[in-house]
Amino acid sequence: MWKDVLADVIQETFAGFRQELGAIGPRLLAMAVILVAGFVVAGAVRLLLRFALRRLGFDRLAERAGLALGLRKVGFAGHPSGALAAATAFFVLAFFVLLALGALDLQLARELVSQAFTYLPQVLVAVALLVLGAVVAGFVRRGVLIAAVNAGLPSARLLAGFAQSALLILFGAMALEHLGVGRQIILISFTILFGGVVLALSLAFGLAGRDLARELLERLARKGEPPREDPLRHL
Amino acid sequence: MSPPLEPRVEERLRQIGEADVLVGIPSFNNARTIGHVVKAAAAGLAKYFPDQRGVIVNSDGGSTDGTQELVASVEAAAPAAILVRHPLSVVQKIVTPYHGVPGKGSAFRTIFAIARRLGVKACAVVDSDLRSITPGWIELLLGPVLHEDFDYVAPLYLRHKYDGTITNSIVYPLTRALYGREVRQPIGGDFGFSGRLAANYLEQQVWDSDVARFGIDIWMTTTALADGFRVCEAFLGAKIHDAKDPGADLAAMFVQVVSSVFDLMHVYRERWEPVTGASKVPLFGFPHGVGLEPVAVDVERMQRIFGQATRDLREVWEVALLPEDLEAVTALGGAAPFRFPDPLWVRAVYGFAAAYEHKRLPREQLLRSLVPLYLGRTASFVLETAASGAEEVEQRISTLAEEYVAQKPHLRQRWRDL
Repeated sequence: MWKDVLADVIQETFAGFRQELGAIGPRLLAMAVILVAGFVVAGAVRLLLRFALRRLGFDRLAERAGLALGLRKVGFAGHPSGALAAATAFFVLAFFVLLALGALDLQLARELVSQAFTYLPQVLVAVALLVLGAVVAGFVRRGVLIAAVNAGLPSARLLAGFAQSALLILFGAMALEHLGVGRQIILISFTILFGGVVLALSLAFGLAGRDLARELLERLARKGEPPREDPLRHL
Repeated sequence: MSPPLEPRVEERLRQIGEADVLVGIPSFNNARTIGHVVKAAAAGLAKYFPDQRGVIVNSDGGSTDGTQELVASVEAAAPAAILVRHPLSVVQKIVTPYHGVPGKGSAFRTIFAIARRLGVKACAVVDSDLRSITPGWIELLLGPVLHEDFDYVAPLYLRHKYDGTITNSIVYPLTRALYGREVRQPIGGDFGFSGRLAANYLEQQVWDSDVARFGIDIWMTTTALADGFRVCEAFLGAKIHDAKDPGADLAAMFVQVVSSVFDLMHVYRERWEPVTGASKVPLFGFPHGVGLEPVAVDVERMQRIFGQATRDLREVWEVALLPEDLEAVTALGGAAPFRFPDPLWVRAVYGFAAAYEHKRLPREQLLRSLVPLYLGRTASFVLETAASGAEEVEQRISTLAEEYVAQKPHLRQRWRDL
């Protein structure tokens, strides 16, 4: 008796599994095909984009904008065109992964895909903000550094680093704000962080850089007076 | 190609009809000095060119201190005491505002246009803030054009050994190496030129560029050299200006001058690339020496800025300097005695020229980063020549210029490879 029951249960289980497999099998296959296609397309995009960007002189542009230096500083030793091509390929692959999940036609997958596609434009804008921030911050950092050295300010690197950090923090906060990640937390964190940095720099400037502070204040005080003439005529 | 002229100026040109020689004076708020300049120009025309129909043109940038009114009221007739012969005609005056981009170049453009309209044979332009101009300057600037058929007369001034350090360390030697002619002061400010060269200038498509704003002097000299016009020099003696704004930013001035030279390297690449060696141009006038009163130069400050830059600006300099040159420059930061060798300086300038051409960085930032190197080089020059006389210093500058010529293959290579 119990043997018959066991056989029925096993048969039903296998039948159900076959039925489920019959239903989901083609979807799994489609998912695998989409994933493979995704890898192929992402690889092709990476190669083509890297080739096109190099031909278009993107690396030189990135060097001029300070992006290359920023990448080197975070440990990326390759060309900026390679970095951009890899990032784009990653997004293409992510797109195919979402498509592959969608092919499963599960409720969870459908919701995930739907949410991802809704969120994608914001992610792209946030990434663009971060890239723009890195470029602007690099440009400003270099400008401040050169100007400070030419002015004979001993803390040129500190000033340049501060200008760059402030801009990176600002753009980072803007990107997170755009993503809608914990808006209040970001705002509060940004305020605390920014205020803290300014306070720390003020203290550092006042305590460690007393001579510099005195020199700057003296310069400000002398602003109304006629400047000393340079004895050299450079032209 | 000609800039627009005001109706009253057109009317004045119709009245004058034709002229033989012209002296142009660009101005902007120079009421303190321009009267003297106009008188010297008028006296020079009357004394040295009594047979020629002379015109003085004041091209003004909208002065608010009465410059134009002052020029209009100055008596253009030369005092009889300085004249050997009475001039055949009275020197005419034209006072006109210029139009276009504000700057000395636009003022010159209007002068060129008037020169062409009047069909003049020879022109001179002189700065309106000069205190040392004499009637003899007019003869020296116009004479070689009228009597010797030269097209361009560059000035040669009597200067202190520490005057004109940008000219001495970059503009003069670089121009000499590029175009193969030794013009000692290519950005002097006072020039003579033929009517045909004025017409050539007028036809160039540069009047909306930086040439119209601040790069006119080097552009005129370079164009005359590169386009094969006959060029000479005239010794004018000392050049004394009205006091300039001492607060003027060195870096901004440096960027203006050096960017003008580098921009012209781009324009005239095909002309300068095959040039090897350099030859002197004929000199008019009677050169003489100058006393060297001590000048208090703050060498220590220049060295300090250079030393700091060797620590802080490596990441910028590496786009222009070869690795071995970057190391050599860095090593100079703490060297004693402090000396910036000629070959290293020349390679640095050539490297920056190539990086500027290839836009390896935003150009203004690139040139501003060259300022500390220039200060280091200048400090070294001041230390090296502290006890030298004028002739020794001139020889020293000539040696540097020869180094520029010798290293020109290096420039060609960097220009191609960077």
